[in-house]
Amino acid sequence: MTADESELRELRASVREFLDSKSPEEAVRKLMESEPRFDPAVWAQAADQLRLPGLAIPEEYGGDGFGLVELGVVLEEMGRALFCAPFFATVLLAAQALLASGDKEACARLLPGIASGRTTATLAVAEDHGSWDPAMVLARAVPDSDGGWTVRGRKCFVVDGTTADVILLVARTVAGPTLFAVQRDAVGLSAEPMETLDATRAMARLTLDAVPATLVGAQGAGGRIMATVLDIASVGLAAEQAGGARRCLETSADYARVRHQFGRPIGSFQAVKHKCAEMLAQVELAEASSREAARLADEDSPDFPVAAAVAHACCSRAYMVAAMENIQVHGGIGFTWEHPAHLYFRRAKSSQLLFGGPAVYHERLLDRLGI
Amino acid sequence: MEQDMQDFAVEARRFLDAHVAKALDRTAFTWGEGDDSMAYFSSLPPEEEHEHVQRARAWQRIRHENGFGWITGPAEYGGRGLTPVHDLLYDAVESEYDVADTGVLSVIGLGMIGPTILAHAQPHIKDRWLPAMYRGDAIACQLFSEPGAGSDLASVATRAVREGEDWVLNGQKVWTSVAQHSQIGLALTRTNPDAPKHRGMTAFLVPMDTPGVEVRPLRQMTGGADFNEVFLTDVRIPDDHRLGEVDGGWTVALTTLMNERATVGSEGVGPVAAALSPDHLSALMRATWTWDDRALRARLAELLVDVLATEHLNARALHKLRAGVAPGPEMSVSKLMYGQNLTRAAHFVSDVLGPRIIADTGQWGTYAWTELLLATPALRILGGTEEIMKNILAERVLGLPKEPVTAAAREVRP
Repeated sequence: MTADESELRELRASVREFLDSKSPEEAVRKLMESEPRFDPAVWAQAADQLRLPGLAIPEEYGGDGFGLVELGVVLEEMGRALFCAPFFATVLLAAQALLASGDKEACARLLPGIASGRTTATLAVAEDHGSWDPAMVLARAVPDSDGGWTVRGRKCFVVDGTTADVILLVARTVAGPTLFAVQRDAVGLSAEPMETLDATRAMARLTLDAVPATLVGAQGAGGRIMATVLDIASVGLAAEQAGGARRCLETSADYARVRHQFGRPIGSFQAVKHKCAEMLAQVELAEASSREAARLADEDSPDFPVAAAVAHACCSRAYMVAAMENIQVHGGIGFTWEHPAHLYFRRAKSSQLLFGGPAVYHERLLDRLGI
Repeated sequence: MEQDMQDFAVEARRFLDAHVAKALDRTAFTWGEGDDSMAYFSSLPPEEEHEHVQRARAWQRIRHENGFGWITGPAEYGGRGLTPVHDLLYDAVESEYDVADTGVLSVIGLGMIGPTILAHAQPHIKDRWLPAMYRGDAIACQLFSEPGAGSDLASVATRAVREGEDWVLNGQKVWTSVAQHSQIGLALTRTNPDAPKHRGMTAFLVPMDTPGVEVRPLRQMTGGADFNEVFLTDVRIPDDHRLGEVDGGWTVALTTLMNERATVGSEGVGPVAAALSPDHLSALMRATWTWDDRALRARLAELLVDVLATEHLNARALHKLRAGVAPGPEMSVSKLMYGQNLTRAAHFVSDVLGPRIIADTGQWGTYAWTELLLATPALRILGGTEEIMKNILAERVLGLPKEPVTAAAREVRP
């Protein structure tokens, strides 16, 4: 299904209205210091009232069957509001990994719960070194005697890793990197929260000691699945980043209009004005690259992989620039704990490096261009 | 609206298919083959330049005869009476075809001066010049900038003094594009040195063959002469060639500047398209054995992110146009990025080439990049400096307050 422009505007307006009332700054600040780092009641409302978790899940699995364009609108708004919820891990990482696996049985088993908001999930790939490259995975899976599998190893930087009901993870088998599903209450699984630069996005370290796991997709298909998932997830992340960057720009421009120094608004000084204009240029590029990539994904265009790499790099930089300059425009007040600018700075830096950082995504872009 | 736009695009395509070929992919190339020119500005010999202007005129005439010569103009002067969005959409469709470059006519004359004449000239002046301009017969230039008045246009010092039914103009204009080909010029002059500077200017339409008008080519740092100096010595202009009120020239100038059109789809054409092409840039790295230099690869990736993101910005503007929506700030951002991307590409290539850009070894596709390198400083100045562009974005899009007017700026500089 595809929403037209006015439906997208309507979707944006309703998500923004919801987040304005359920995720104002006070709520974000309270949640980022609590465990779990989201409010289950608000999450249930997002599912029941707005049907957000199922938005981009196919109808056959209980969702509404929209695409990355619609998901992008929701993620832009969540990025603006720094919404603390298991949406990113569940809907973007886990659900997309299930869909990319092509495993209809696993999809039928897990996606309806995700679509309804009753099940939260995540995707665990990176280990101590932080790389999302499946070739770097050390965790191992071996078949057990009764047709199942057991996994041993460690996973790091697992978003919502202490709360997700289902953990999809990549482990090595003799056939190569392979995707598995592990239940939260599985014997041998322990999860400890990691201290995070961005406290609005919870991460965990998992230890897997002969944990029973279910194979998802074909043995050895983990590399192919992850290539698809990373493209989609980085475009989703790009939307979040574009939303956050737009919020930083708006905050800066609002402040520059009203804050007076030397007897006039600081926004009338060319140095400040040009800083804001440069932020605007970055934000416009970020929105264009992430929205265009989402459109190409939904059209199954062969240009999508390049566009995904561009969106990831462009939005990572744009958000970082906007978050830094936002503090600069606010001056000393922008450097205080009380001001929200640092929350965006933390999110921007953390997002920039989540899937490996500039050195990784630059090579990914060149690779996609055949260079 | 959307359907109307689709119909218009189909009509434009039908017209173009009947008259011209589809454009070749200018970024496709084989290393070491063909022309390796990287010129942004043309530095053609006079005969070739003349031919170029004739081709532009011929194509404009065909456009005009088929209803695409003046898409937004009123029917009484030969226009089509459609919206600026139709105009932009036509440009976008036309960019897919291999047509003569009509920039010499359109960038200043048809895009900026035509609408100004329409808004401010007397009826018989409109009758005399508007159809001629949009048919490709008359080329117009903008006699605004002066040595002492660039970005601060209200500082013009060229004097116009009333003598009976005429005005006598004296002064010097500069950076005047296409003046050497023009039949008319729109001059901004000072008529009241005692008034505040914005309120003492008057605009005139100057036939360029009037005695006392002298056009001198202005050689640029690229070595070519795209611009001119125009000297006005006792140039006698009838009062009916005045545009707008006496001392009301600022309003007229604003009409001109506001019509400085954003052009969709005109970017990335010509030889400089290669400067932004991933294929060309990677081939250059292969040819210079810098292929696996990690630092250069990282810079290439960063450059390509900007180039491709700017393409996405343009693509989204085009989607909007096709849906009948005028593009917003993305067009100004796109212009800003185009200059910056070319500048960064030129410096990136300089670092890849090393000494081969400081002296010509004769190797294909190396020293030729000096043509682009030397054009890049102008890209940050022409059509409004980068600083002015940023002021416009900040003030018009973000609503930031204007710089307060200082006492010095209020003074009149005759």
